[in-house]
Amino acid sequence: MAATVATEAMKAGAAARHEAGTGPAPYMNPYLAGVGLGLVLLATFVLMGRGLGASGAFTSVVAVGVEAAAPEHARANEFYVGYLENGFGHPFKSFLVFEVLGLMVGGFLSGALAGRNRRTVEKGPRISTRGRLGLAFLGGGLMGVGSKLARGCTSGQALSGGAVLSVGSWAFMLMVFAGAYALAYFVRRQWL
Amino acid sequence: MIAPFFKYGLFGDEASLILAFLVGIGFGFFLERAGFGSARKLTAQFYLTDLTVFKVMFTAIITALLGIFYLSWIGWVDLSLVYVPNTYLAPQILGGLLLGFGFIVGGYCPGTSVVGTATGRFDGFIFLLGLMAGIFAFGEAYPLLEGFVNSTDLGPITLPEALHVSYGLVVFAVVAMAVVGFWGAGIVERKFAAKSVNDRIPNAEA
Amino acid sequence: MPKLSTNQWLAVVALLLGALAVVGEPYAGTRTSLDARELAMIVEGRADHVTAPELADWIMQGQTDYRLIDIREDTAYARYHIPGAENVPIHELTEYPLFRNERIVLYSGGGIHAAQAWFLLKAMGFPGVYTVLGGFDAWIDEVLYPAAPSATTPESMAEFERAEAVAAFFGGSPRGAGEEGELQELALPSVDLTSPVIVAPRKKRRKEGC
Repeated sequence: MAATVATEAMKAGAAARHEAGTGPAPYMNPYLAGVGLGLVLLATFVLMGRGLGASGAFTSVVAVGVEAAAPEHARANEFYVGYLENGFGHPFKSFLVFEVLGLMVGGFLSGALAGRNRRTVEKGPRISTRGRLGLAFLGGGLMGVGSKLARGCTSGQALSGGAVLSVGSWAFMLMVFAGAYALAYFVRRQWL
Repeated sequence: MIAPFFKYGLFGDEASLILAFLVGIGFGFFLERAGFGSARKLTAQFYLTDLTVFKVMFTAIITALLGIFYLSWIGWVDLSLVYVPNTYLAPQILGGLLLGFGFIVGGYCPGTSVVGTATGRFDGFIFLLGLMAGIFAFGEAYPLLEGFVNSTDLGPITLPEALHVSYGLVVFAVVAMAVVGFWGAGIVERKFAAKSVNDRIPNAEA
Repeated sequence: MPKLSTNQWLAVVALLLGALAVVGEPYAGTRTSLDARELAMIVEGRADHVTAPELADWIMQGQTDYRLIDIREDTAYARYHIPGAENVPIHELTEYPLFRNERIVLYSGGGIHAAQAWFLLKAMGFPGVYTVLGGFDAWIDEVLYPAAPSATTPESMAEFERAEAVAAFFGGSPRGAGEEGELQELALPSVDLTSPVIVAPRKKRRKEGC
């Protein structure tokens, strides 16, 4: 049933744009999108008393993987144990895991409606696909370490922690922008 | 009984998972609406040609901030039950820096990489693999890093508490700074637009 | 109405709300009212009590839907505490991470301090707070070292056998009639390590972070 909804959405979007003679639809006004995002975040706070997140879900995945491969090693490591024993039973029965599943669906749906879904590799003109993928992996790795050090990522710490005015979250947010701007010149060949 | 409802036992753990899924759909939907499934649009922020990241993030923050503030003021939300993360200043500063590096090198952050993957970006998927590799490396190194990771614990301290001013004043300051920032962002974008790096899909007319 | 673009409207609304916030009082919702009559009825109906044998049953059955809080001093807690209990002295209770959708069971030495803590938590808006009737002393007397019954009816003998089994589970033993249950210094009942519930301390607060 979900597959039919998705394909119908894509067909509707494509049909609309075929009428208009345009390609992928323009993005939503960023401020309106921000309000939408903020309302979703607000709803989470009001209903659950907590904010959003993303990196925690992937930590659960890693923890489960490590436990499957080397159970004693995983159990001996406090970091993994924290995600394996989340008070819920199975580590995948976690708020963040289900939220990330929703993230995939929501992202796909929006892209489908706007005709922006396509199999591609995002990169600038001056770098090869292989180079881009290598850097994507490296960037992900850096972010993996960074997000665990900071106990969150932009969704969890910056957005959610920022909205409740946590000092650490705001400091974190500033550093993210600082770090990205600092390195931007050196990786400009990837994007510009 | 007032919000947050989950903390009053209004619904159970199982229902909260369904809620998480629904919230995630909304989250992913608006992330893609804003264009955050595209690494090029995300990184354009750091070349000053497209400051959508700044606009969306801070609009979202002040929306939620004002929402929580007003709902608490009229007594519909118990602010003391809203989760404020603990501040571990040193690891958060270093972590933020690394995250910034990862952002410009990888082109995504964890949430947006999921949206990117869902909309067909293969680099988003590779980013996710890298993310998990990084988490794994962190996990393995955890026994060594533990001391640092748990250092400088300031507790769930908020800006009003740290600055010794009222909550409302900080809210006003954040909103004012954001609005000024948005105005400035428009100016900066127009100046640098020529060297645009993003995927050439325009924003809707304001 | 002036002609403003969408963005300008958003900016105006945001600034107005932000400005109004300066005089706001966001902690209004944290004060809950204490309904004295309601509390009196709860106390009278004994709905807030859990007997020591009942608690023992919960532990033996591996129930995990409650938090057991020992509000005695840490030295007393270290010497012996009911399996699964978390040590939270009263002054830490207000800051301690407890969720309002959890059942909180409190015990102190005799029960007076637990009753006071009960009121504290009720005032903070916790709907499911209970005290162990008779406190730690009751645990010693009724669970660890149950007294042999005076009568010898089949019911009381069956009951006593059950009490014996419970006592054995926790490392205690029944005492003869007339003896006072006393926590043996040397033979400190050790927590039964085969039961998974008792091994994994239920202090795992659900992660709320990212």
